[in-house]
Amino acid sequence: MKKKIVIPGELVSEERKQVGSHVFMENGKIYSDALGLVYNDSQDASVVALHGKYFPQRDDLVIGIVVQETFAGYIVDINSFYYSFVSKEFMRDRLQRGSIISAKILSVNEINEAELGQVRVFYGGEIINISPVKVPRVIGKNASMMEALKIGTGANIMVGRNGRIWAKGGNTQLLSEAIKKIEVESHLSNLTNKIENFLKEKNNNA
Amino acid sequence: MSKKEEKTEYVKNGKRLDGRGTEELRPLKIEVGVLSRADGSCALEWGQNKVVAAVYGPREALPKHIQNPYKALVDYQYRMATFSVPDRKNPKPGRREMEISKVSGEALEKAIFLERFPNTTIDIFVEILDSNAGTRVAALVAASAALADAGIPMRDMVSAVGVGKAGGEIILDLNKDEEDAPDAVDIPMAILPRTEEIVLLQMDGLLTPEEWKKALKLGLKGCKQVYEVQKEALRKKYLEAEKEESEPNTETATQEEGE
Amino acid sequence: MASDIVLDLRADKVIEAIKLGKRLDNRKFDEYRKLKITKNISENANGSARVLLGETDVIAGIKMVPGDPFPDTPKEGSISVGVEFLPLASPLFEPGPPRENETELARVVDRGIRESKCLDFEKLCIKEGEKVWVVFIDMYTMNDDGNLFDACSIAALSALLETKIPKLGDEYKIVKGEYSGKLHLARKPLLCTTTKIAGHLVNDACFAEEKAMEARFSVATTEDGYMAAYQKGGSGSFSPKEIDECIDLSFAKAKEIRKQL
Repeated sequence: MKKKIVIPGELVSEERKQVGSHVFMENGKIYSDALGLVYNDSQDASVVALHGKYFPQRDDLVIGIVVQETFAGYIVDINSFYYSFVSKEFMRDRLQRGSIISAKILSVNEINEAELGQVRVFYGGEIINISPVKVPRVIGKNASMMEALKIGTGANIMVGRNGRIWAKGGNTQLLSEAIKKIEVESHLSNLTNKIENFLKEKNNNA
Repeated sequence: MSKKEEKTEYVKNGKRLDGRGTEELRPLKIEVGVLSRADGSCALEWGQNKVVAAVYGPREALPKHIQNPYKALVDYQYRMATFSVPDRKNPKPGRREMEISKVSGEALEKAIFLERFPNTTIDIFVEILDSNAGTRVAALVAASAALADAGIPMRDMVSAVGVGKAGGEIILDLNKDEEDAPDAVDIPMAILPRTEEIVLLQMDGLLTPEEWKKALKLGLKGCKQVYEVQKEALRKKYLEAEKEESEPNTETATQEEGE
Repeated sequence: MASDIVLDLRADKVIEAIKLGKRLDNRKFDEYRKLKITKNISENANGSARVLLGETDVIAGIKMVPGDPFPDTPKEGSISVGVEFLPLASPLFEPGPPRENETELARVVDRGIRESKCLDFEKLCIKEGEKVWVVFIDMYTMNDDGNLFDACSIAALSALLETKIPKLGDEYKIVKGEYSGKLHLARKPLLCTTTKIAGHLVNDACFAEEKAMEARFSVATTEDGYMAAYQKGGSGSFSPKEIDECIDLSFAKAKEIRKQL
């Protein structure tokens, strides 16, 4: 199916429908609020934005970095518009500025502030960044891309929906090269095969 | 007023001194996503005018006391490079730049869903690299495209154009020679193209209400033309995504950034 | 910021009233507050005026100074317009260099005077290529209860209408206390601002109304049917039809104010 590209303010649907992400209703019509692709069926209208910061969604797994400790908990940067907060109630480990955690988004309020839970702390490792809208490509269908990356680099990988990838062990240098490649070529089909070949080639040369 | 003696004809047989018709824009070229560090960016060429715009945010507004608990702030900075004008410009931002920054930021506020991002700021920086009249509208057109490139939710684009009078004729998109005409009137305007809401409007010169009616009509028409160029520039960046989407694909999501 | 909360509440009241077709001080939508102009408030100024618009209080003073002409206009004098939002006029004004609100106001008042061609710059020439008059128009706010734009424009024009040209002695030195004549104004440009609140157009907004405004549109008009400057401000918008209404209002209101000069 051919998807239509819209820019902010462009008409998405003239009919009344359920409004999904990146659309808004005005005088009974639905318009896009972003540059993106239209997903329009009989009941819902939404737009998948092609660029932008991370909009927190409930149940997303994100990777955060502790910015500051406060009396009751920790302020965490999740690569979005606002910092998030984790209460010490949920934590056994003591964290400090710079600690890397993964967490699940328990809820998001109307101004996109996220509440975090199910916190896991990472010791060591490093963070690789990617545009949040390209995260699905790093995961791949049935996590196929993740598997390819793990096998090809030997690294332990955790992908956050917020555009942060935590990696430890293996060849993390090669991993960041591969992720850069995914980001640049994300529009090409058969990307998983291409990345597999890329990793094989690099490993053979080494 | 003595300048009137050296009378120049600014429109002759429907053509202007630079060969354009009275309702014709100078060539306009827009490209988005030109700066890698910015959240959104745009390079624009409009006749001799050359501008680059970058958008950062929404990000936490600092110091904290400037934060607005109801909406995001818009900080718009219009600056001219020292070499962008015939004489070297003082690098210190002048009163003109300050005023333009203020009214341009206000023009964009209506377009952005500011209420979704309380306590944050959206910073927009526009640098003029070369100029030949009409830089404030060129800057605004670039800024609006950069905002869309940054994925900041908007009600509509902001499209802008200069309209005015030279040699007694109402014309679109005045160049510097026309702006220097003895009877010149310069009217920068910006609209939300979908609803024709006017978000920026300034004027200087002597104008009658009848002339204004003509100028407004022409300005609205010009803004719509500019809008089409903005739309094409944004779509162009993602045209390949559309193409890819139409093919069977094995993966969960396809998004591309167009290399 | 506690004072902000109080202002927000007042703004809500303004909007409630406007929606019912009323203003908090019972004025009609297009009605200006009481205008009082006091001329020649400063003896050292070449011309001066104090304007009270309701509780808004501003002062304008003129100084004419011999200066060097710009290289590209050797036989033309010039004007320079400045405004200072004195901290004594509002808890929100802070001392320091001019900020964007001051800069905007000064530049809009400047455009109204300059573009209306009420001053013939060539008549301000003292000696071609050597010395010309620079007319400094400086305005100060004493109390900000809204609509500083119109109040400053009225003050500037009132002061210009009173301005005496200093007498020049040797080497273009001003002879103190002596004058060679009055400054001639060919037109009387006045800026009138229309404010949009809750979708309605009102004139001469007071401070609380300005807090509630969506946008404002100022037009400088002359008595012979010209417009010399526009300025749209504020984060809202106007439809083309509303702009036309604003223009009509500006012509009508300026005509009323001109009678009181």
